[in-house]
Amino acid sequence: MDAKLLEILVCPLCKGPLTYKKEAQELICKADRLAYPIRDGIPVMLEEEARRLPAEEEV
Amino acid sequence: MDKRAIRAAFERAAPHYEQAAQLQQEVARRLDERLEVMKIAPALILDAGCGTGFGVPLLRARYPEARLIGLDLALAMLKQTRARHGQARGWRAWLSRLTPHASPLTLVCGDIERLPLARDSVDLVWSNLTLQWVGDLPATLREVHRVIRPGGLFAFSTFGPDTLKELRQAFAGIDGYAHVNRFIDMHDIGDMLVYAGFAHPVMEMEMITLTYADLRTMLRELKAIGADTVLEGRRPGLMGRQMWQRLSDNYERLRRDGRLPATFEVIYGHAWAGRKDKLEDGRQVIELKIQHRRSGQRGGG
Repeated sequence: MDAKLLEILVCPLCKGPLTYKKEAQELICKADRLAYPIRDGIPVMLEEEARRLPAEEEV
Repeated sequence: MDKRAIRAAFERAAPHYEQAAQLQQEVARRLDERLEVMKIAPALILDAGCGTGFGVPLLRARYPEARLIGLDLALAMLKQTRARHGQARGWRAWLSRLTPHASPLTLVCGDIERLPLARDSVDLVWSNLTLQWVGDLPATLREVHRVIRPGGLFAFSTFGPDTLKELRQAFAGIDGYAHVNRFIDMHDIGDMLVYAGFAHPVMEMEMITLTYADLRTMLRELKAIGADTVLEGRRPGLMGRQMWQRLSDNYERLRRDGRLPATFEVIYGHAWAGRKDKLEDGRQVIELKIQHRRSGQRGGG
């Protein structure tokens, strides 16, 4: 992931900040409890492609 | 329009896109020409709806110092962009060190209607033949305005109402369905830009007529640019033989010099991101000016 891109990337829904999980290759929006996948190094910032975080998963 | 259908159409179209999309390429070139007179030096450019990356070499040549973000709804398109214009690897990387520096390119899969970028984060948003597919144009323009820094530029091209007028005409009277997308008039787009907060919108329009050997070839090419599945109000199911014959007969009447014409009304526009004293939902932002009183220092200021 491009560090400079990370600085300006936000959740497309709430426009809030994202947390980069390197091991999982995901970008997490804590507010919406969504995990956006990074596929082949390209962040996929679409709600329909995001993983909904289960209530018990800590972020 | 159904966003999933649009996305699926472009995912399918990606491998055959570049050769079929000469129109896109030509319009990109003409949009780039319009940047010639703009006095800007963007540090960060967003190519919104970059497709397979027609805009990338143009923007790199014009703004060699800028960083580029390519955004598209279809991941398959972005992979094509990366294969063509991405960062070099292996021996190519070694070779590229000997050649002039090319602007870094970053790719993001996303929707121009819901941009995943922070407000005031980019200097120039370039969008070539993308806006015609969005569902809510006023909301999209507010999104674009949100991410551009005050004083930054939005330059775009899109299709106007006369696009594919021959096809619309040929379909007329066959059944009650529209079959061809309805495109928005440039005057309305100009008004929407102003409502979205942009200043000094400039709109231009030109007609580009492409000609095809026959209707089948034409529809195949429209399909290759991802346009066919998004024809609004399509009748479900396949077109019957009888209907195809009537459509074909209707279109044949337009044949000139042995070719079938298809008109594209291309709209070019640009506008400047204005002062941002209003939020995108219309709420006013009140700037608090706090006077910093410096204590303990008298005079000399």
